[in-house]
Amino acid sequence: MTAADSTRPAPLRLGVSTVGLAVPLLVLGAVAMTTHRFLSLDNARAILASSAFVGITAIGATLVMIAGSGVSLAASQTATVVAMFFLATQQLGLAAAVLIALAAGATLTALQGAIVGYWHANPIVLSIAAGFAIGGATTWFSGGTPVYPRTRAFDVLNGTPFGLPLAVYVLLAVTLLAELTLRRTTAGRQMYLVGENRAAARAAGLPVGRVTVIAWACFGVCIALTGVFLASFTTSATVTLGGTLTLDAIAAVLVGGTAITGGRGSALRTLGGAVLISVISDVLLLRGFSTGIQILVKGILVLAVVVTVHLRTTRGRQ
Amino acid sequence: MQPRVVEVDRLTRAFNGVPAVRDVSFAVAAGEIHGLCGHNGAGKSTVVKMLTGQLEPDGGRIVIGGEPVELRSRSAAQRAGVALVDQELSVVPALTVLENMLLGDIHVPMANRRRSAVARCRRVLDDMGLERIDPDQPVSTLSIGERQLIEIAKALSQHARLVILDEPTATLTDVESAYVFAAIRRVAATGCSLVFVSHRLPEVLELCDAVTVLRNGRSVATTPAARLTVDELIVQMLGEPPHRLAPTRMADPDLAHALRIAGLTVPARLKDFSLNARAGRIYALAGQLGSGASDALRAVAGLHPAATGTVELRDRAVPLGDPVGAARRGIAFLSNDRKSEGLFLDKSVAANLTATRLPSLARAGILQPHREHATAQTVAERCGLPEHRLGEPMAALSGGNQQKAFVGRCLERNDVFALLLDEPTRGVDIGGRAAIHQLLREAADNGLVVLLASTELEELLELGDVIITMRDGHIVHRYDGDVDGGRLMRDMTQGRK
Repeated sequence: MTAADSTRPAPLRLGVSTVGLAVPLLVLGAVAMTTHRFLSLDNARAILASSAFVGITAIGATLVMIAGSGVSLAASQTATVVAMFFLATQQLGLAAAVLIALAAGATLTALQGAIVGYWHANPIVLSIAAGFAIGGATTWFSGGTPVYPRTRAFDVLNGTPFGLPLAVYVLLAVTLLAELTLRRTTAGRQMYLVGENRAAARAAGLPVGRVTVIAWACFGVCIALTGVFLASFTTSATVTLGGTLTLDAIAAVLVGGTAITGGRGSALRTLGGAVLISVISDVLLLRGFSTGIQILVKGILVLAVVVTVHLRTTRGRQ
Repeated sequence: MQPRVVEVDRLTRAFNGVPAVRDVSFAVAAGEIHGLCGHNGAGKSTVVKMLTGQLEPDGGRIVIGGEPVELRSRSAAQRAGVALVDQELSVVPALTVLENMLLGDIHVPMANRRRSAVARCRRVLDDMGLERIDPDQPVSTLSIGERQLIEIAKALSQHARLVILDEPTATLTDVESAYVFAAIRRVAATGCSLVFVSHRLPEVLELCDAVTVLRNGRSVATTPAARLTVDELIVQMLGEPPHRLAPTRMADPDLAHALRIAGLTVPARLKDFSLNARAGRIYALAGQLGSGASDALRAVAGLHPAATGTVELRDRAVPLGDPVGAARRGIAFLSNDRKSEGLFLDKSVAANLTATRLPSLARAGILQPHREHATAQTVAERCGLPEHRLGEPMAALSGGNQQKAFVGRCLERNDVFALLLDEPTRGVDIGGRAAIHQLLREAADNGLVVLLASTELEELLELGDVIITMRDGHIVHRYDGDVDGGRLMRDMTQGRK
C-alpha cells in the first residue's frame, strides 16, 4: 500500500484488455465500411430504429445493475402485460393510456425492487419468479388470445418526425435523463455506492432499500415505455410480444461495459452497447447471414466484452 | 522428558523492513498443550502463520519430528502434520460430520471408502469424548463449539501431529468452552501436540502445560504453567506497563447532548450494557474479541437486528436494528473492517468523503457540484489528506490515509452528534495513528460524543477520558481516574468466573 501511495501518473498500458477491445472494433469498422449499402442515411436510420426498443429497456436495466441488484429477468413479461394494458385503455385517450402503462410497469418492477432492497431477496431468483407470475397472469387475463385496441390513439407513437421513429428520440431522452440521474442526483450517486459495497453502504446508514426501489422503479418505467412502443408497432398484443427483450437488454448493458457486480457503468455506455449490437446485426444482415448467425455473433460479443471488462476490473483492484 | 515433536528455532520475519518476529524459539513435546501469549502486535499471529505455511520465515527454522521442514503453503503444512483451528471455521454446515472429515483427505482409499471411513470417524470422535455426535449428523445441527471440535477431529483423522488453536474460545459459551477443553485434553493424551493461542489468561494457565510469552516480536520466556499466575503473565506480556493520570478534560455539562444507552442486549454477545456518554469526552471500551465491546457499538449503529434495550441521543430515541434510522438520529459508525464494511475503494477519495452526506450537498435531490467540491476540500484539509489526491481512487491510498478519510467522512457535518469507532487505528502506521487520535480529540472538543472500542492498551490509555473494560458481554469496570495497562489487561483477560 505504501508503495502505491506515491503519486505517479498511471502508465499507458496496452494490455490484453485494451487490445481485446480495440481489435474487434477495428475489424468491425473495416467490415462495415466495405459492406455494400452500409454507409447510407437509410441504413443509419435503420440501425437507430432497431436499437430503440431494446435500448430503452436496457437503460433502465443499467440503473438496476449499477445499484448492485445484478440482472432482472422479468422484463419481457412486464413489457407484454404493459402493452396489453396500453391497448385495452386506448379509449381513455393517449395520455391516460401511456400514464397507466408507465404506472403499471413502475409498480410491478418497484415491488420486486422493494423485496430485493428491504428483504435482501436474490434478484435473479425473485425476478424469475415474478416473470412467471406476470406471464401467467397475462395468459389468464387475455385467455391466450391477442388483445386488440378499440381505438387507434397510439398511431401518433408510430410517427417519424424528421425521418426518425419517435422511439429513437425517446431512447435518446431516456439515456440523457438516466445519465443525469446517475451523475447529478443524490439517489443516482447512492446507486453507485450501494452497488459497489452493500455492506459498507449499510454500515454507513445509506438508504439501501430506498435506493434499490428507485433503481427498479426507473427500470419499470423504461420497460413500460418499450411495451408501449411495441404495442403501437404491432397494433395488437399477444402473450409472446415481449419476446427476447430481457436478454437483449442485458446484452446491451453488458456490451456497454457496465459491471454486472455493480458500482460501475453508465447510461451512455449502454446506449453505445445497444447501437453496437444493432450495427453488428445490420452488417450481418446486409452481408446475407442468417438470423442464427446474428444471434451467435451477439453471444460471442457479450462473452468477449464481459471477459475483458472483468479482466479490467480485477486488474484495477490489485 | 517427552520427545520434542515441534521445535521453533530462532524464527524471524519482517514486513517492509519492520521486524514483526525476531528470534522466537520454543519447543512443544508430544502430548503437550503449549500456550502462546502476547499483547496485540507481539507477533503471535505471525508465528502462527509461519507454522501453518501462510507466511515464509526470513530466518530460523521449524523442526517437526526431528526434521527441518519448509512450509511454503497451507497444504504443505498439512502434509507435515500441522493443523490450524481458528475463528474462521472451515467446516461446511450443509455436509455431515463424516463428509466434512473426508473433505480434502488424501489418505482414504477410493474403494470401500464409506465403511472404513465411518469406523475411523467414530473412533476419532470417541477418542475426543464426543460419543453423542453422530457421523451422519449435518454439521449445521451442531453448536459453534462442537463445530470447532469437528475441525480438530478432522485434523486428527488426517494424522495431525501439531494442532494450533487460535483463539478457539473467544466466542464460546461457558459450557461449550468446558467441553472443548475436555476434548483438547483427551487429544493431548493421545500424544498429539497442541499450541493454544488465547487472550484469556486464566484459561491458558488452566489448560496449558507451559506458556511462551511474546513481547514486541521476541520470546520473553517459556514457563511451566504451574509456576505462573495471571499477574505474572501480564508482567511478562507488558514489561513496564503503560499508565495514565486522571484526565483533566471537562465533560459537556449539558446532559441533553449525551448518548444514553440503557439495558442494551444482543443475544449471546452483549448483556445489559448501559452507559451515559456525554458530549466532549472520549469513551473507550476495552475488550478482546468476543467481549461485546464491538457488539455494543454495532448495536447502537443499528447493525444488530436482534438487539434490545433503549438508546437515546440528544433526548431522541434511536431505533434499534435500523442503520438508516440511527444515521438519521446523528450516529456515525466506523466499522473495524475498513475494506469490506467501510470505504468505497473503487470510488475517488472525494466521493468517499462526501458519500454519507450527499443529501446535504443537494437541492431537491440534485447535487450541487460546487458544494461537493468545496466540502471535499474542506474535509480533506481537516483530516490532513493532500488536496491533489482527491481524484484518486481510495484503493491507491495507504492504510493510514484511508482511515483518515474514513474518519473524515463523519466530520464537518452538522447532522452527526455521536461518533462510534470500532478499532479506529487498526492497520495504521504510527504517524497515521497520531493524526487520527488528534482528529478524534478535536471531534470531542467540538462537541461530539466519541465512543470507541479498542484492544490496544496504548490507544485506550491515550484516548479514553473514560475507559470501560469489558469481558464476556459484560462491563467489568469503569475508570474515570488513574489507571495503568496492567489493570486493564487483567480486566480484559480474566476469562469467566
